[in-house]
Amino acid sequence: MTIYFKIILAVLLLTGSFFSCEKDSFVDEDGLLITFRSECFVSNFELLGADFVTVRAAPAVIDTVAQTIDVSVLFGTDLKNVYPQFTLATDCKLDPKITGKMDLSNLSDSKIFTVVSGNRLVRKPYKLIIKYQ
Amino acid sequence: MLYRNFNFFFLVWVLLTSLTACQEEEYILPEPISQLTNDCLKRTIGPSIASLPIEFAYAMAIPKSQGKLVSAQVEASIPGGTGTYLEHRSYYTNSGGVDIPVTVGSPSTAVDNGKSSKVTFTVDTNAVTLRYYYIVPDEAKGQTVSFTFSVNSSDGKTASYKMGPYNISKMSIKKNLTVSNGTNAFISIEDMAIYNATSAAAIPDKVDLVYLYRASPASFTHALVSPSADAAYLPSVTLPTGLKKSTKLRKVFGLQDRNLANLQFGIYVDDIDLTSVDMTDMPNYAIGLRAEAGVWVETADKKYRAYIYINSVNATGSAVLSMLRYTL
Repeated sequence: MTIYFKIILAVLLLTGSFFSCEKDSFVDEDGLLITFRSECFVSNFELLGADFVTVRAAPAVIDTVAQTIDVSVLFGTDLKNVYPQFTLATDCKLDPKITGKMDLSNLSDSKIFTVVSGNRLVRKPYKLIIKYQ
Repeated sequence: MLYRNFNFFFLVWVLLTSLTACQEEEYILPEPISQLTNDCLKRTIGPSIASLPIEFAYAMAIPKSQGKLVSAQVEASIPGGTGTYLEHRSYYTNSGGVDIPVTVGSPSTAVDNGKSSKVTFTVDTNAVTLRYYYIVPDEAKGQTVSFTFSVNSSDGKTASYKMGPYNISKMSIKKNLTVSNGTNAFISIEDMAIYNATSAAAIPDKVDLVYLYRASPASFTHALVSPSADAAYLPSVTLPTGLKKSTKLRKVFGLQDRNLANLQFGIYVDDIDLTSVDMTDMPNYAIGLRAEAGVWVETADKKYRAYIYINSVNATGSAVLSMLRYTL
């Protein structure tokens, strides 16, 4: 009985030491899981006003080859206070992060948002082009 | 050996737990109330705003053997505004959900310079609940108010119940103001009033917003625009001389304040909302407004903040607004 107990303990200790030596590399700097997915694209885009109601005049046109997002906004939209929302491929993340309202009023200087794939190896910059209706 | 000791202690622990679990809790018969007693609850929820009522329900009872109820009164730390009274009727709810009144006393009289409301019972009664409506006076803004409810019985006893203190909001409220395109279109936050062009020209420093309606473009419709906003947002509008204020506006949707929406919905705008709303970089116009939407407003001199709620809109170019105003 005691021998069996010792054997089990030894096996457990051995297994524990293996795990503890393994490199901890499954999460990125944001604490997000790094996966094996290499898909990297924007699947949907929404733009909300200060009242969290859409300011789009039509659905955004996303070109995943040219890596552009064209969106026309309603007359009178206050682009200094808008909330962009990106829908990305599975496990992707966005750089820069959107943490609150954004000022997108400088229409001559298109904002660039980079999509990073789940395996964090593919980066695709998307140009956000906004124009008034 | 260790295993055996463990088994023994475990057995003792289980035994002790089972003994405790089997202990019976004796039911103690509650003492019946044998004297004059009272209780109170506040029926109004949400912020206490000047000109609006705070409603209470005051219950009192005495055993029949002790006598009957003689009078009830409420004393407020700040005299209530016009319309403050203690109900002289008790209510019960019928099967249709309607409150049916039963008169139990003479209509309340104001005593102690309006601080107190008193009802004298005109029927023999041992138990009754009276409602009390306290109209928040203007002078109570930003202060606290407390209430002392009391009842006298025929055996010479008195019971009392204290309620509060309650914080009184610094906000002012104005409901159901009708604005119309081109005529009664000039809004003053300071006065909480709507003016026509002639009246607005006489008080240009008080006019903060212009209401207008344009069917085209489709996103324009009902709008509140500062007099100094870009001309694109004031199409075909000739402003009265002197109007030049730039008022910040922030659109909101889904914030149907219960007081402004005439007791619909269950949302309340309170002082803290008006002080904490971020008005940095907000535009001086709000277009595309619709019923049940609203706008946060900050006047150009930063003296006032307000929440304007759109009660209803009419496609012919008019709307009904209500507003809460906070003095910063």
